[in-house]
Amino acid sequence: MKEQVTIRVADIIGSPLCISAEDGQKVYEKLVPLLKQGRKVTISFERVTTIISLFLNAAIGQLYDDFDEGRLNDLLSVTGLTDDDLDMLKRVVDNAKRYYANPQSFDQAWVLEGSDEE
Amino acid sequence: MQLKINTVRSDYAGFNGIAAVAAKSKEIVLDTLELDFSVCNFFEANMAAPLYAVLARNYDRLNDVVLKNIRPEILEILRKNHFLTRFGYTEAHDRNQTTLPFKIFKTGAGEQFADYLDRYMQGKGIPPMTEGLKKKFHQSLFEIFQNAALHSKSESGIFVCGQFYPNKQRVDFTIADAGIGIRQNVRKYLRDNKISSCDAIKWALQEGHTTKTGRQPGGLGLKLIKDFIELNKGRIQIISRHGFYQFAYQGDEIRKMHHDFPGTCVNIEINTADAYQYCLRSELQAKDIF
Repeated sequence: MKEQVTIRVADIIGSPLCISAEDGQKVYEKLVPLLKQGRKVTISFERVTTIISLFLNAAIGQLYDDFDEGRLNDLLSVTGLTDDDLDMLKRVVDNAKRYYANPQSFDQAWVLEGSDEE
Repeated sequence: MQLKINTVRSDYAGFNGIAAVAAKSKEIVLDTLELDFSVCNFFEANMAAPLYAVLARNYDRLNDVVLKNIRPEILEILRKNHFLTRFGYTEAHDRNQTTLPFKIFKTGAGEQFADYLDRYMQGKGIPPMTEGLKKKFHQSLFEIFQNAALHSKSESGIFVCGQFYPNKQRVDFTIADAGIGIRQNVRKYLRDNKISSCDAIKWALQEGHTTKTGRQPGGLGLKLIKDFIELNKGRIQIISRHGFYQFAYQGDEIRKMHHDFPGTCVNIEINTADAYQYCLRSELQAKDIF
């Protein structure tokens, strides 16, 4: 059995504020290789004072593009979140599952016409 | 060019009045824009943020801006909240400490915005709120600020300003940008050049809707704020280009603006007397998340 790993978010981003997608991306990039190795990972939010959905989308939401739901359920756990933050994380996760179930195609070649018409 | 400023409150008429300045001045270049406040009987201090978004567009076109005939009581409040220091006035002492001063942030300045909230939201004239309320309010402001930073493409920054209204037990906090507006992002994302500003705002308010084009999901921030505002019996207004949207606990409304506001402005008004604990789903266990 592989050893359980704890990722401390405040240490990774160097701040108690989880408010940017860039910082969320840093956490995501720490998580991916560990999860690929099949390690059980606890994401610790100890000493974090503020979290917004933008951060959680980047840190955790996009994992659902790389791993299936069952695998993440087996490998991931969180600590240090208040009840209302846990609720927000649940909404982020549910939203991510829906998002990757119906990926939007994005046509880079499409050109926006310079129209001010309403 | 000289334009009159009427009374400005955080409502449809107030935002239209500010957008009218943008519409009427949009052709002038290397000129002086004189804003005449002689018929302005009241100016809600938080509305300095959207007004500055309009003025920033004028600065981009190398216009000078002069404010004149401002009534003493309006002069006082706009000196207290530091807005008028941008126009050569000195600061006035905010004895009751009810202002959250006008400030311009770069789009990547989330941490400085956090410092600003820490400095001005604590105690002072703004009443103590429950920890849960304070946290939800801060989260909402960060969601709005970071939305502006991510989507607006505002070159002149993000303009913020707030005011506590003790009689109403309300704090209004306004975040504005001089960017491309919600409509342009939604048009590009949906590949539909015909979508109106109002329809673009309605689209952006749906849970899970985001114009981000990378591989990250999104589109939760505004829905989370709406849920909070509903519980708090507060109000949120979103003004973007020709669209005006307002959500309050009594209901919501969306209306076309008479004039084009050159960017996006979000005003959030919270009820500071709210004692709700904001522990929304205490039965949720960490093991049930993924």
